[in-house]
Amino acid sequence: MNEIEELRLKIDGKLVSINSLESLTSVKAELLGRKGLFANLIDRIKLLSKEEKKIYGQSINALKVYTENRLNEIKIGLEQKQKEMADKASWIDITLPGKAPLVGKIHPITKVISEIIEIFVSLGFSVVEGPEIELDYYNFEALNIPSDHPARDLQDTFYIKEGVVLRTHTSPVEIRVMESQLPPVRIISPGAVYRCDNDISHTPMFHQVEGLMVDKGIRFSDLKGILTIFIHEMFGEDIALRFRPSYFPFTEPSAEVDICCVICGGKGCRVCKDTGWLEILGSGMTNPQVFRNVGYDPEEVTGFAFGLGVERIAMLKYGIDDIRQFYYNDLRFISQF
Amino acid sequence: MKVPLEWLREFVVIDIEPYELADKLTMRGLEIESIEKISPQFKGVVVGRIKQIERVTELDNISLCIIDTGNKDVSVLCGAKNIKKGDKVPIALPGAELPGMPVIEEKTIKGYNSVGMLCSERELGLSDDHSGIFILPDDFTVGKELREEPGLDDIVLDINVTPNRGDCLSIFGIAREVASILNQKAKIPIFELPKDRKGKIEDFISLKVFDLEACPRYVLRMIENVDIVPSPYWMRRRIQRCGMRPINSIVDVTNYVMLELGQPLHAFDYERLKQRRIEVKLAERPITFCTLDGEDRALEKGDLLICDGEGPVAIAGIMGGENSEITNATRIIALESAYFNPLFIRRTARRLGLKSEASLRFEKGIDLENVDFSAQRAIALMHEIAGGVVIDGSLEINDAKKREGIFVSFGKINEVLGTNIDHSTILNALRSIDLHIVREEEKGFVVSVPWFRHDINEYMDIVEEVARIYGYDNIPVTTPRSPVVQFRKNKKNKIVSKVKEFLVSSGFFEVINFAFLSVKDIENFFISDGDERFSYVQILNPISKEYGIMRTFMAPNVIKNIAYNINRGIKNAKLFEIGKVFHPIKNEKLPREDIHLFLALTGKERDYYWKEQYKNFDFFDIKGVVEGIGERFGLNFVFQKTKEPFLEEKYSSDVFLEDVKIGWIGEIKKDVLTLYEIEQKVYGGEVNLMPFIEKAILDFKYRSIPRYPQVVRDFSFFVDESIPASTVIDKIKEMSPLIISVDIFDMFRKEKRSISFRVVFQSFEETLRDETVNEIQEKIIKEITKIDGISLRV
Repeated sequence: MNEIEELRLKIDGKLVSINSLESLTSVKAELLGRKGLFANLIDRIKLLSKEEKKIYGQSINALKVYTENRLNEIKIGLEQKQKEMADKASWIDITLPGKAPLVGKIHPITKVISEIIEIFVSLGFSVVEGPEIELDYYNFEALNIPSDHPARDLQDTFYIKEGVVLRTHTSPVEIRVMESQLPPVRIISPGAVYRCDNDISHTPMFHQVEGLMVDKGIRFSDLKGILTIFIHEMFGEDIALRFRPSYFPFTEPSAEVDICCVICGGKGCRVCKDTGWLEILGSGMTNPQVFRNVGYDPEEVTGFAFGLGVERIAMLKYGIDDIRQFYYNDLRFISQF
Repeated sequence: MKVPLEWLREFVVIDIEPYELADKLTMRGLEIESIEKISPQFKGVVVGRIKQIERVTELDNISLCIIDTGNKDVSVLCGAKNIKKGDKVPIALPGAELPGMPVIEEKTIKGYNSVGMLCSERELGLSDDHSGIFILPDDFTVGKELREEPGLDDIVLDINVTPNRGDCLSIFGIAREVASILNQKAKIPIFELPKDRKGKIEDFISLKVFDLEACPRYVLRMIENVDIVPSPYWMRRRIQRCGMRPINSIVDVTNYVMLELGQPLHAFDYERLKQRRIEVKLAERPITFCTLDGEDRALEKGDLLICDGEGPVAIAGIMGGENSEITNATRIIALESAYFNPLFIRRTARRLGLKSEASLRFEKGIDLENVDFSAQRAIALMHEIAGGVVIDGSLEINDAKKREGIFVSFGKINEVLGTNIDHSTILNALRSIDLHIVREEEKGFVVSVPWFRHDINEYMDIVEEVARIYGYDNIPVTTPRSPVVQFRKNKKNKIVSKVKEFLVSSGFFEVINFAFLSVKDIENFFISDGDERFSYVQILNPISKEYGIMRTFMAPNVIKNIAYNINRGIKNAKLFEIGKVFHPIKNEKLPREDIHLFLALTGKERDYYWKEQYKNFDFFDIKGVVEGIGERFGLNFVFQKTKEPFLEEKYSSDVFLEDVKIGWIGEIKKDVLTLYEIEQKVYGGEVNLMPFIEKAILDFKYRSIPRYPQVVRDFSFFVDESIPASTVIDKIKEMSPLIISVDIFDMFRKEKRSISFRVVFQSFEETLRDETVNEIQEKIIKEITKIDGISLRV
């Protein structure tokens, strides 16, 4: 029996020395392998008597089961330990900053123009464009602004040469469209326009969107309807608006459209000059003389036109207080839109 | 037009709050720009009456005045000389506060007690006048606080009068609109010419008008023995509140009547008129003429002039001459009241760059029927404030034509407005602004338009008036009844916005610049004379040299944007701009307008990210973007060696689309960047989008995804620098129709340049067998290594 006890002590000594899965494998081979300790012992049993075989065999077998169980326990423990270590090694600090994809930004003017176009396209308007360097005829004459007309004072014109100017508004597109097609007309035309002005509230180039709708039986009330839809889409359903008589040589009656001041909510502030209202666009029924100029019969058709300043709308929409911001192209500005 | 309510109330009873009135005027098309409240800045000043004045011998030029202040008399020392016994004067009693002065105290000088101070207008903050004590109007009440006297408090409406409404450039004109709003009639000023008139005007002066088209009406009236003195406070106050400067009794009256009735007037010093004649005629030849502001004006043939027997004395309707202006010595006044043709006035005023309150009104057309009435009004006022004797009668030329009536149908009005306004409302609206309904029929009416409304000439003008008075607010909101109009497609817009989308998603920021350049910018890019970019459209009246011409290419402006951002610490930037460039076309009035795309890269993608490092942008970054755009629209760009003078040749290329050069990409030369104060590398690219838009493919068909697996094989060759990589790729592609792509996945240089190609084989009919691919592989190796300068890397 002493021999069995000795064996157990020897085995325990081996098991204690196991400190990794590798040493486990080699100890396991040493003890349970084909040429291991137990294989040896079993060889020796063969030489014993039947009696002895029985007793000794049982003890050896018990010892083997014991060894196998212990090895298994050690293995589970080691595997557990290894898993824990691996976990520790692959740990990440989830509070580190993520890697944001780098995308650019559209200039706010483009953004606002797109929004305006989208609204009018949904109302059945087509988008057309015209030249930025324009004949005096299209920019003024055909729009009922002859050369001695006081309205020319309203617009400081850049001149290129006799009869050629930088367009001061997008309205000449109206004439070009009507000259090229018969009614009905339903167009909008965005683009750059130019005026000889450069200060805190004016830039020599800015953007407008022109609109024109001509057909049989178009009414002033329709103008109110279409522009009301537009303003509600652009500034929200709740915004108060008003149509106010004004003057443009190419429309009659003419109407300036104001919205309730988005800064002070109509109470009166610096931006709305204490009126509670902000001018947002000019509009009116197309002047019969303009129809005659393009060969339309004002007895047959009526229509309305409107023009809106893109920068102005962008400024109100985003609360920008200096129009020149649009043209510095400072990335700290553009990246906000 | 500035409108003091105190003055306006002379013509109309204002029984609503000023803010409500302002709102109603705005809704009538007379937009109120601002509402200015005027109230005196002083306190403790009362109306006093001078009971007694005595010179004080011990003090130079000082008088001791006994002032009746209502409940008691006080003594005051005063240095002014314009006061006399019986005058009503403002007295600041001890404790009074005057603007910008310490509180008034009782003082004793040389034993004389001065209980307060008599004030000038300037001391009261009412005007700049400090020539003497402010002599108060006689109807002021002694003992009353001065600030409570009527007229000192006022509200001035600043009205933005649209160019069509010349009739509203007067207090009376505004009163007419206000009366219409408040259901009243504006009261015409009542006055009488003095009874004791003298002589006959014909004996003093003669009048001739040579051009009735330019001057259809001209009236002369005269007054003699006038005193050229300051006009009374009430007149000066009104003139000032309207934004003009008081001058003297005569000039002030002409301005006052102009502001009141809208008729510009001109007063000549009669004795300075040569040959006692006035002739209205067009200049026959260019001459120089000195206007009363002391400036020499170059007049041209056709300018409308007022002349005496020797030459011009005024530029009609714009400004009088120095040679006949009113001076302190003037005794006899010849007063002109006329209607000048707006076109003539406008043309001359514009050419001379000379605008006056008079020309402003004449340009827009004044009331042809009010010409003599205004002259009489002015003569009466002159007599009232400057004394003198009125010369009897007037000289007048009147060629005014009658205006034709306009027929308007009730139906048309309602049809155009989308309303259902009843007939009497329409007619009453028009009558309320003094339009005359000449005839009324079942279907419509004829309206006669008075001469103060030059803007009403046809039925649509009447429709506008009805809408204006009925109120835009009362017109319903409808949607058009017309059917949907066929939508026009706009390929250009679509492509431009898709290119923008592509670029933004690739990390580019859009910039928008003024479409101007300076010639210097073109030179900075070493562009030579013959280059198309040097043929530009020039602006005749630019804001500055910097914005002197229309841009012919995009690069300079975006390079400036880069410099701007670098200066503000933003050293990494990916920018693009899509905009127009302009090139003159021979024998055409209008230039060609092309749409260009410009791209710019500088710095690197990011400065840092904690687990990675970044390289600076290089040629391939910009090339990839351009290739990507082409691919997006089914187009293939070809990149070839460039000769652009502003590019580093080695790191740049031209961009071709189907054998046509449409642009360039590459590294901008250091020499160019230095001119824009940029020290870091910038890669740019400019592409004309016009041919691109034309060829771009927007509609494409889906290609079915292959059902059989692909086979990938890699090849490495040593390729001599003289052989472009693209040549090898093209060659490999030719080897078999089964090759669907050839890419470069590695390249390095040691003694020789090694390039590794990844070739993908794909059959759409079957699963490729190894033997098939091997065969092609052999062929590739064999054929490619046949090329001089290429060998297989083993």
